[in-house]
Amino acid sequence: MRVAEPLTRLLPRVARRELQSPLSVMAARVLTQCLRSLSRPSLRLCSGSPAVRAAVGPAAALHRPVSFAASSRRTRWLGQSPVSSVGVLCRQYGDLPPLTLETIKGRVMYVLKLYDKINPERLVTSSHFMKDLGLDSLDQVEIIMAMEDEFGFEIPDAEAEKLMTPEEIVQYIADKKDVYE
Amino acid sequence: MANPLRAEVVRLYKNLLYLGREYPKGSDYFRDRLRSAFTKNKLVQDPAQIQEMIARGEYVARELEALYYLRKYRAMKKRYYEE
Repeated sequence: MRVAEPLTRLLPRVARRELQSPLSVMAARVLTQCLRSLSRPSLRLCSGSPAVRAAVGPAAALHRPVSFAASSRRTRWLGQSPVSSVGVLCRQYGDLPPLTLETIKGRVMYVLKLYDKINPERLVTSSHFMKDLGLDSLDQVEIIMAMEDEFGFEIPDAEAEKLMTPEEIVQYIADKKDVYE
Repeated sequence: MANPLRAEVVRLYKNLLYLGREYPKGSDYFRDRLRSAFTKNKLVQDPAQIQEMIARGEYVARELEALYYLRKYRAMKKRYYEE
């Protein structure tokens, strides 16, 4: 038991261990405030008990910035001061939900539904733009341009003219963006 | 569909569509006009004639670019000088 160890050094270690504990955030915050109001020597004495560890753990986890870099930093965390407490539900700038085949398909179909010459009721993933939906090659060029805008990369003309159904577009984008599942 | 100039025409259409986004009367207006101009000549088969039309399309694209430059220049001038 590390009774003599200062609490500031002990906290992160406990936090690591108790990260998965489902204690509510509010309760944990109240508990830390109670603990802070106690005098320091007595705190040191009781910090070895498992109950206090469990209580202090999530509160300390609160101070951990949640980002993709945090997991790699976790090992060198000892001895550093807590950085911020707001990062819990914060997303990083430029962060997007990861692309999957489902989300690509959803976005492609959404763009197609917004295109004014397509009847949304007749649109299914396998419908051919020219044969089933009655569009011409100029419409197809416009659709490809809309896809370029939506997904933020350019589709070369040679490949764009082969994309004639929504599922081919989905497959092409998935290939370009390295999405395989 | 096997016309070798088809790719050229599609490229021109795409280019003009990009340029038309900033068109002063609105991109929808430009798109409709562009489409009617292209569909009007969709039955032309003679390569020489198609070449000529592509050249005209390129000319329109350059004119559009010049229009944007001019607009930008005017806006900047308006901001720097009173009169």
